[in-house]
Amino acid sequence: MVNAVYDHLIAILVVGAMFVGTVVVLPSMSFVNLQAVDQQQLRNTALNVFNAMLLDPGDPADWGSIDPNWSSGAVKRFGLAPGQNSTFYVLDPDKVQRLVKGNPLGELSYAEAKDLLGLQGYGFSFRIIPPFNVTNVNGTKIDTEHSPLEFVGPPTYNTLRCAIKVSYLDGRPIPNATVQGTLFYTSKDDFFITPSNKDLTDALGICRKDTALCIGQGDIKSLITVLSVTVSDVATIVVIYKSGSVNIVDINLVRDTMILTRTLETPRDNVWINNATFIRGGKELVYLFNSSRKNDKDYQLNTGAKRMWERSFYGLSKYDPVVFVLNFWAVDKDGRGRSEIVIAGPCQNLMGYSVFEYGDPPRSSHSVVKIQRSVVISSMTYTAELWLWKESP
Amino acid sequence: MTTHGNKGQMRIIEAILASFIIMFALSFANIFAITPTSPKYEVTELQKLGYNVLHDLDEQALLARFIYNAEWDNITAALRVLLPLDVYFNMTVYELHDSSTRAINNATIFYGDIETFVTSKNVASVTYGLAGYATKINGTYQALYEPRIVALQLVRG
Repeated sequence: MVNAVYDHLIAILVVGAMFVGTVVVLPSMSFVNLQAVDQQQLRNTALNVFNAMLLDPGDPADWGSIDPNWSSGAVKRFGLAPGQNSTFYVLDPDKVQRLVKGNPLGELSYAEAKDLLGLQGYGFSFRIIPPFNVTNVNGTKIDTEHSPLEFVGPPTYNTLRCAIKVSYLDGRPIPNATVQGTLFYTSKDDFFITPSNKDLTDALGICRKDTALCIGQGDIKSLITVLSVTVSDVATIVVIYKSGSVNIVDINLVRDTMILTRTLETPRDNVWINNATFIRGGKELVYLFNSSRKNDKDYQLNTGAKRMWERSFYGLSKYDPVVFVLNFWAVDKDGRGRSEIVIAGPCQNLMGYSVFEYGDPPRSSHSVVKIQRSVVISSMTYTAELWLWKESP
Repeated sequence: MTTHGNKGQMRIIEAILASFIIMFALSFANIFAITPTSPKYEVTELQKLGYNVLHDLDEQALLARFIYNAEWDNITAALRVLLPLDVYFNMTVYELHDSSTRAINNATIFYGDIETFVTSKNVASVTYGLAGYATKINGTYQALYEPRIVALQLVRG
């Protein structure tokens, strides 16, 4: 009797150990396969979503260009391809701009885009990055605190020195990249545009160039440099602000209409536009208009409205404008009287080194799938990246 | 009594042996399981990527210029900036010559480690055709029919 009890106890222990062992061992045996199935399923979803984003114009086909009554509710299907005459992987700049956070003309939020793409239970991050990096010589990102520009040539300091580094996305230098700059700057009463010569980067990917200015540093009220950097005719644009240029308005472009909207920096006093220029497709400079005088009513901004000024220029979007540089006659930020001020736009975070990001940042705790494609926006080549992950198990 | 006890122990030993056989069979079957990480998926993705980059260069009228003007360094640099960092490439340009093809790039259009192309199981190949390139003849631009075939091999490094 006692022996039988022992036998049963041992049998229970052995069968229990076998059960626990099976529960532990079997899933681990097939874990790799399960993970691969999961990863592949995620990859398939990401491919479908990315194709929908880059190759589909969405519904309505011109949803990015609806103005002035744009509403995210009007978008029935999400897609960034142009509505008409679209070839593969060319994106509509109007639609891309609707993804820019804080777009004064209306934006499509991440939650709404997720909903339209049917990505409930998933998270995604969509990035548009330049094909190569343009940084300061020490590798730091170009911004207002870390500017590659420096006034040299005492005593008037009428030479602007620019030192940049051009590198692949992995940090390796790119020699023989072509660097061309256009300087837009103002004194109290004048506006100057000085193009610089073409220069090449050296073996370390570094380019240093000096450009003589028409006036000295002391007389400069505002200055913007637009650098066009080209590697084998694939160009990227970098806009660098220096001394005095603050965004007194936001420059927006919807199809052929330029719309200027109010910002926190907009002065309360009257503002006039004196000159408007743009750089097309990373190449040449185009003069859009010059107003006849500073008190021209046609070029005076409506200081009481959010949309302060707008005008259509027939066929403007066909020129593929990448950067507009506008010269204003306005009270400067220190309130020391009126002067000419240059600003650039639209969508500065789409230009140059900066990375345009939409959606949540990728989460390391999840299994993430990344897909890349090369895309064209306004005749400029960028790399579009989609990161997709599952949020719920 | 002893006989009954021995029988019970034998049953347990049988059960253990049976479970080992099942476990062995499962792990053996696992070796032959076809997982979704089949090379087919990776190759398809690389093919799409390769076609995308060549199409973008063609869209900007750069591909034809690079190829018909034999700008091999430029096409190498352009592919390097447009393809992801971990993708290696090897490109060959062919011309049609008396119903046969002949490689015409006298310089290598290559980035990466040659060993990776030899050892990797997932090498993707993309073929892209160009019909001709407009050149200035007697003051006007004319495109002659001069077909070129671009063969781009891609592999993840």
